[in-house]
Amino acid sequence: MEWCAPPARLWGMGGAPEARTTPSRENEMSEKSYRDAIRDAMMEEMDRDANVLIMGEDIGVYEGTFRITAGMLKKYGPKRVLDTPIAEAGMVGTAVGMAMLGLRPIVEMMTMNFAIVAADQILNHAAKVRYFSGGQVDVPMVVRGPQGAGVQLSAQHSQSFESFYAHFPGIHVVAPATPADAKGLLKTAIRGNDPVIFLESAALYGMKGEVPDDPNFTVPFGQSRVAREGKDVTIVSFSRMLQLSLAVAAKLASDEGIECEVIDLRTLRPLDMDPVYASVTKTHRAVVVQEQWKPFGVAAEIAANITETVFDELDAPVARVTGEDVPMPYARNLELLATPHEPEIERAVRKVLYKT
Amino acid sequence: MPEIIMPKMGDAMTEGKVVKWYKQPGDRVKKGEAVAEIETDKVNLDLEAEADGTLGEQAAKEGDMVPVGGVLAKILGEGEKEEKKDEAPQRRVTDKKDSVKHTTGEYHEAIEQKGPRRDLAQNVVAMPAASEGGRRKSSPLARKMAAEMGVSLEQVQGSGPRGRIVAADIKKTSGAAAASAAEFSRKPAAEAAAAPLETKIIPLTAMRRTIAKRLAESTGPIPHFYLTADFDVTNLAAMRQQLLDISGAKLSLNDFIIRAVALALRHHPNVNASWGDDAITQHGEVHVGVAVATPEGLITPVIRNADQKSVVDIASEVRALADKAKNRKLKPDEYQGSTFTISNLGAWGIEEFTAIINPPNAAILAIGAAESRPVVIDKQIVIRERMKVTMSCDHRIVDGALGAEFLKTLRQYIEQPLRLFV
Repeated sequence: MEWCAPPARLWGMGGAPEARTTPSRENEMSEKSYRDAIRDAMMEEMDRDANVLIMGEDIGVYEGTFRITAGMLKKYGPKRVLDTPIAEAGMVGTAVGMAMLGLRPIVEMMTMNFAIVAADQILNHAAKVRYFSGGQVDVPMVVRGPQGAGVQLSAQHSQSFESFYAHFPGIHVVAPATPADAKGLLKTAIRGNDPVIFLESAALYGMKGEVPDDPNFTVPFGQSRVAREGKDVTIVSFSRMLQLSLAVAAKLASDEGIECEVIDLRTLRPLDMDPVYASVTKTHRAVVVQEQWKPFGVAAEIAANITETVFDELDAPVARVTGEDVPMPYARNLELLATPHEPEIERAVRKVLYKT
Repeated sequence: MPEIIMPKMGDAMTEGKVVKWYKQPGDRVKKGEAVAEIETDKVNLDLEAEADGTLGEQAAKEGDMVPVGGVLAKILGEGEKEEKKDEAPQRRVTDKKDSVKHTTGEYHEAIEQKGPRRDLAQNVVAMPAASEGGRRKSSPLARKMAAEMGVSLEQVQGSGPRGRIVAADIKKTSGAAAASAAEFSRKPAAEAAAAPLETKIIPLTAMRRTIAKRLAESTGPIPHFYLTADFDVTNLAAMRQQLLDISGAKLSLNDFIIRAVALALRHHPNVNASWGDDAITQHGEVHVGVAVATPEGLITPVIRNADQKSVVDIASEVRALADKAKNRKLKPDEYQGSTFTISNLGAWGIEEFTAIINPPNAAILAIGAAESRPVVIDKQIVIRERMKVTMSCDHRIVDGALGAEFLKTLRQYIEQPLRLFV
């Protein structure tokens, strides 16, 4: 079909080979920050596939507000690293068109809060094109950027969008909690043929962890992970709250012998509940931890799924740990009070254990 | 709108007194905030609001007695007004101006049929008792386990919020709780203790019925008789001193006695029992009540499963419960449910005394002061630490020989105190 012409021709660039052969680094790991893992994923995929490009505000010359795209303009040039005007709807609309014609655009949102301006393009276009075209046209596009609180960006810039996007069929929603998952999931997002909302935690950018060097390392969507094994309580979380949950699990295990099993959802759409069901069948109690507001959130979805599927295994109502139901305050002390922390998680664990 | 009601703080409680209102009608109250202080026959406690709102009219004045379950006040939600008692609840007619416009008339009809909007908070705060209309509140897992183990929920005491029966309660009732290594190590090694204790209902024989009736007729509702023994506590006192020196733990002789009694009760389950009109119940657990004197009078906080607790655990528990008792802060489950009681007047220098049984226990042990006294051992007069105990027994359950057997076992634990630790 005419509109599926090879994008290399469209951009007047020599087509790069689909997959370059690289020396096998299958088992090697490096310590990387969450930020660097994201950049590595994008650059590896841009090396692998000439159809991959990135666009966004201040990502080229300025190298990104959070310095995710440092060095990329220099390496790939202005045709593959595009500085855009401050016009999110235009950016995503352009990307939807590119993706329909076979490119694989990545759109960086300075923060995911700004993507609300482009919500119509994301939800009414990117998420609907395949359906409306009877399966003829894919939209292989990634909209990625930081979200969440913890870095004093105030009410408009600290929100969490996972339940907002995950509500809609037609898009994937990803929220990695570790540098390795950030890399592996982003590579899957770029290689896939579906529109993906890739939610990075602003507060995790500096977090370091072991990341596989293998350029073919990917993490599939829809595979929740048991991040810590335990027998007493199941804690379900994702993104930054997973790290807090792990800290609580470690503390309770060493101080009181309470063994929490911690599950990382990794992707919220597709949502893999099977490890959660297996865990609750073992522990009989569950706590769900999310940073966003309580009403209509991911925690509510998880709790409802547990009740629908493994009701008879529950010995206590599923507990939710969430942010306070207020716009995020700027003041540091108030921001801390408005977001969940370890003591709230610990309290919820005790509550479902009837140890109050 | 949520109501503040007089809670039932124990089986025997039928009414409670309003001591003080902390909040007046029209005051804002927050969930969890104390609204009033009430007094029962055992404790004073604060009643907390179960929801945010405004306090409505007070149905009782300070000093009034209110029956259990009686409404003390209501908590009104945002914009809510107290309903007049004599008026039936009014159906709210949808205000056409305010209502969201819908294209279908059915929607409005449905709203009108549904009647007045309920306060959302009501879903959270309407907390009926554990058993309402015959239904026992229980977790899904508890129900599944009860069905698998053939346990009737009716027999189970719920320990969860608002009396919810949870998995742990089913395990306890079925006796299937696997004894953990820690528990095992605390149990007496003696052969009698090897057999698991269980709750048993022993139907009354004609003879037992007659004995009970005759004895009761002769001496009142509980026919008491008394057994006195003089224990040598020289070794026990020495051991206590050593433990004090080594660990610095605060241990009294009484803490050792509690453990000794609890272990002896495991050997004699027929003393760890209660009289009923048709049967004697042998209790499956050993809960030792400890008489504590308070300015208001006597109360007996209970050391639950005392046979499974170390002396150190017992000591700290007794101390905490005694403090609470003196401040009238004991909760009903902390002073109810004993299966045996100990009363110790040693600290007052009482040499020996007889105590009145604490129903429904079968016996009570009155403990006198441990004192240095001359005794004859091997035809020599020697000075030993001695302590006299008197057991009051309910003759309907415990006959003389049985009581004597119990004291013999207890003597072994007291006079050879290493037995308390093996």
